[in-house]
Amino acid sequence: MSTATEVATLPRRSIVFPGLASLATLARRRFQLTVRTPRELIVPLVTPILFALVIAPALKEALHTSADYESLVAVGTVGLLIPLNTMFSGLSVIGDREQGAQRELLAAPIRRPLLVLGNLVVALTITAFQVVTLLGFALARGIDFNASGRGVIWFVAAAVLFAVGMYGMAETLASRVPTQEEYISRVPAIAIVPWFLAGSLFPISALPDWLTWITKFLPLTHGLAVMRYGLLGDTSGLHNIWGTHDATAMATLSLLVVAAFAALMVAVAIRTFTKAASR
Amino acid sequence: MTATKTKESAMIEVRNLSKTYPGGVEAVRGIDFDVGVGEVFGLLGPNGAGKSTTVGMLTTTIRPTAGRARLGGFDVATEPLRARSISSVVFQDPVVDRVLTGRRHLDLHARLWGVEFAGARARIDELADALGLANLLDRPLASYSGGERRRLEIARALVSDPRVLFLDEPTVGLDPRIRHELLDVVAGLRSRRDMTVLVTTHYLDEAERLCDRVAIIHAGRIAALDTPDALLAGLGREIVELRVAGDPGSALARLRARNVAGSDAFAVGATVTVPLHDRGAGDAIAAIHELGLAQTIGARKPTLDDVYLRLTGDRLAGAA
Repeated sequence: MSTATEVATLPRRSIVFPGLASLATLARRRFQLTVRTPRELIVPLVTPILFALVIAPALKEALHTSADYESLVAVGTVGLLIPLNTMFSGLSVIGDREQGAQRELLAAPIRRPLLVLGNLVVALTITAFQVVTLLGFALARGIDFNASGRGVIWFVAAAVLFAVGMYGMAETLASRVPTQEEYISRVPAIAIVPWFLAGSLFPISALPDWLTWITKFLPLTHGLAVMRYGLLGDTSGLHNIWGTHDATAMATLSLLVVAAFAALMVAVAIRTFTKAASR
Repeated sequence: MTATKTKESAMIEVRNLSKTYPGGVEAVRGIDFDVGVGEVFGLLGPNGAGKSTTVGMLTTTIRPTAGRARLGGFDVATEPLRARSISSVVFQDPVVDRVLTGRRHLDLHARLWGVEFAGARARIDELADALGLANLLDRPLASYSGGERRRLEIARALVSDPRVLFLDEPTVGLDPRIRHELLDVVAGLRSRRDMTVLVTTHYLDEAERLCDRVAIIHAGRIAALDTPDALLAGLGREIVELRVAGDPGSALARLRARNVAGSDAFAVGATVTVPLHDRGAGDAIAAIHELGLAQTIGARKPTLDDVYLRLTGDRLAGAA
């Protein structure tokens, strides 16, 4: 074996948009790692698809509800899919720290928030793929959506902002807990409990008054109300939160709530990661 | 950005650098040293001595509690991006993505360190040839042996052509043959006169073989800093080592009283080590026999292990 003494040439350095180039590099790495771990793509899809395609039609039959109920639950399951998928993405951050190359990334001449944002880009991409898959299955199953182009924009905005916020929460948790086991033990409380309370399967007005009041503070309640408004034209969720009849104003307010949640959680995630990265 | 801000002076400057972890563990306690351009500098000490914490602070992954450190003139606390841009690290533990290929690891490093695409490709090929990795690059890291993975990590650190290279215990956990092979690789880096290397190790032979200067670090403090030859010269031409039956402290006192041992003689457990500066080993052994102190006795050349023992009272390999 020869030695490194033969190496002499000096590579030139690229200085065009270093932040964007680094972000793309980090996202590409995360994506390559993720596609080699199929469980991260498939597992989060199983439960929501089960709900949308099996449980919702069964409930409709058992409770003699209308076809609208299947549509309501199909959108409601997006509110389960997004937290499950983003939490699974957060799990890989712990894997990176325990067995992966995170320390090499921390020694790189890039701003550390980019590491969080690179992961976020991939989490959003995979979530988008999964949401489209879920809705595709629902359409194939004959579930009806009544969306205009403008409605789709409302839906996408709410889904993206909610996913950003949930990923921020996942990354924060991943930076704070030492092991994957501890992380997994906290996922139900963060991803599943709010889903039952946020009007996913029934309107929040069906809950006791005090609980209805509490659910109005859940970002998912606002996210689902906007998603249903966008995809189904259903304003009842928004009305249950705000109590007025101006659909656009209510949707705007709820979207602002979800946007504030997203901004806050990403800021917390970056701060927590940066602090944890430099002991 | 230029890496030659302080080319005339030290490439690594460390002043009163300290780290106290939450809970009050003082890992590094006010160390000072300079490393010149192109120098290979060793931090020698057992596990827990503060070597990796020092490297962590210099690579900006650990925040100093006090003091200052600069790489190429860039302060690691206030200019961390610039400090990181001129340095690379080979970590003590495996720091790889096992499912990605070797080539992908090198490419990722090149991109993150801003190496131009065409230059990076050429450099990766050069390094792969130089480090015997050419046939491995397209395999995932999971299939690499320990030695192959270590060579890949060294190649990765060199892709960005760093001005400062940190090697944190580069051969720990490797079998003797691979360790020897890897030492050859690291020794080859010495000829890169523009690259400063800081290597931490608890293997004495590594420090002697690789380093221009060595700092012996113990309990977070630098106990001695000099060239390996100068450190060894402090212990004379030869040493006599004797195993005593009774109290080694009183044996040492008797040896000093008879002028067989000087102030630099020391005892660890039941073994007393006597550096010989002015007299030959034969004379010293005869004098010790006259005192009837030794169960066993022998003479040999001093090693850095003896230097370390004299300074710290611990046996280096055992502590590690």
